[in-house]
Amino acid sequence: MSWSIAVGGLLLLAVLLLVLHRERRRAASLQVQLDAAAIELQHLQEACARLAPAGVVQRLVAGGAAAESETAAERKVVTALFADLVGYTAMSERLEPAVLARVLNGYFQRASDAIHEHRGHVSTFLGDGILAYFGAVQPNPWQCDDAVRAALAMRAAIKEYNAELTREGLPPLGLGIGIHRGPGLAGMIGSRERREYGFVGRTVNLAARVQSLTRVHGVDILVTEAIREQLDTRFVLSPMPPEAVKGIAEPVLTYAVREDVKAGA
Amino acid sequence: MPSPLEQVAWEPCILEPQRDRALEAYARRKMGMPSSSTPYFTPAPWLARALVDLHPEYGLLLRLDHGVMDLVNLVVCQENSCRFCYAAVRAMLWAQGLSRERIERMERDLLRADLPPRTLAAMAFGRTQSRTGPAGASAARDALARAGVEAEEMREIAFAAALVDFSNRAHTIAAVPVRPMERMPDQLHTRLLRPLVNYLIRRSRSHGRPQPLARVPEGPHGRLIQAYAGSPIAPVLAEALDAMWASPILTRRCKLLVFAVVARGLDCEACGPEIGEALRKEGLTDEAIAAILTHLDGPELDSVERQVVSFARETIWYEPAVIQRRARALRGHLTGAQLVEAIGVAALANGLCRLGATVLEPAEKSDTA
Repeated sequence: MSWSIAVGGLLLLAVLLLVLHRERRRAASLQVQLDAAAIELQHLQEACARLAPAGVVQRLVAGGAAAESETAAERKVVTALFADLVGYTAMSERLEPAVLARVLNGYFQRASDAIHEHRGHVSTFLGDGILAYFGAVQPNPWQCDDAVRAALAMRAAIKEYNAELTREGLPPLGLGIGIHRGPGLAGMIGSRERREYGFVGRTVNLAARVQSLTRVHGVDILVTEAIREQLDTRFVLSPMPPEAVKGIAEPVLTYAVREDVKAGA
Repeated sequence: MPSPLEQVAWEPCILEPQRDRALEAYARRKMGMPSSSTPYFTPAPWLARALVDLHPEYGLLLRLDHGVMDLVNLVVCQENSCRFCYAAVRAMLWAQGLSRERIERMERDLLRADLPPRTLAAMAFGRTQSRTGPAGASAARDALARAGVEAEEMREIAFAAALVDFSNRAHTIAAVPVRPMERMPDQLHTRLLRPLVNYLIRRSRSHGRPQPLARVPEGPHGRLIQAYAGSPIAPVLAEALDAMWASPILTRRCKLLVFAVVARGLDCEACGPEIGEALRKEGLTDEAIAAILTHLDGPELDSVERQVVSFARETIWYEPAVIQRRARALRGHLTGAQLVEAIGVAALANGLCRLGATVLEPAEKSDTA
């Protein structure tokens, strides 16, 4: 009798151990799946961070619909920087698509790094153009200085990049940058299916128009009067003759940015 | 128990830990256990002390529940992406008996956790104060009042959130090593010692008693300290500020400039005038102050001020790894003690400026009215 109880007990223990072992394996498997999902989510967030400011992405992920309404549009004074490649169309006809894509990506990376380094936010790539904002995501009373410093860093980065391209036998890139500051609407803008962080208003249009004036004046960085008024006076600027631009009634007065803060100042 | 913040990039520590037995013993006495971060801040003793003394759980609160304060801490640490402080708060919650599942459930969505509405309102208030600063102060106060939180408790929540903003920046900018803190709840010996740790935490935590404000310090933040008159927060805050101003590592003017830059970056009307007045007493003209704050530079600045002023603006809104790299770049321009003090002053300025905007705005309005 006692022998059969012992065997029964052992059998019960074996079954329990088996069940425990299976449950532990199941739990481990679920943990692995959970970790994989967490990593996937992290990658997704990183990918989203390329489409909108990281802070906005975090808020949307953390708060869902509530956060989306929280990050809805608000009126702000923002500095817009519009950059475009000079002679891109001619270059695109000469280069193989794969080479062209590599050259473009190299340019975008360097320009984005320069903008990010100076607290700007790249809003979008438009063909070979870049639209960036300063002071759109967080308040930034130093946005004009930041934007001009970013433009100067882009100039330096492109100069360095051109040396690399020339060594590879590729044509150098030319850059045109327009910077303007003014009011507009910043926030998550778009349709229900596709919404992105952006800034809309006349400020953006004028920055793009000023960029196009770089070809007229034969310079690479132009800022408007609104920028000059706020800018550190130690930046070296040259006034350009007023030019009419599409959509603006009065001719636009611009200044070419020659160099950073005056030496010894 | 991996935390959601473990994915946040974190640079190697930029400060050398320096043992100071007296300061470490002081922290241990006050906190009930050793503080692993104190040795990183000992070159600026006021900072090492302030990080302990200003912590509300050690007798500074009259009304706010410590459990609610822990959750406000957690949400603000998450907002600031401070891996060190987040891991510390998390470990504290765990040591006090919250299950891992409960903590993880709260972390998944802190503002929709299974908590009372007043607690959720306090957490949302702390997050707003930290995230939007003065811009969101008025709306945050209104939301808290709607949840039934009275003014005195609101001030305590605001102080708790401000202290976390201060602590988060100090630990994040210095990149204090996070792994030991993050691994703590997973280690066998800490699991075994959990009841003891819980006992030590509970023993060292206490509510304070009303304390009269013996004197209102002259100069900046007098109004802020006065706003806490009657609370034990006021004398402790006054003492911490006095020690910070008295520290000879950076000049008083340099520290004032840091406060001014942070106030300017946050567009804080509550703090700006007092700081401006103090800067004028240091011999700077209105024009010079305006020029420095507009362009973060000026011929009046010496080489240390130039570095520190430029760095101060980086501490207002930041990504941990980026601010840590920028702080590392300062090592070539400042002495070790200057760097520690610059980090501490900038961190404190961020906490107090956000606090001032929350606590002082109504007084400003009534003054003008």
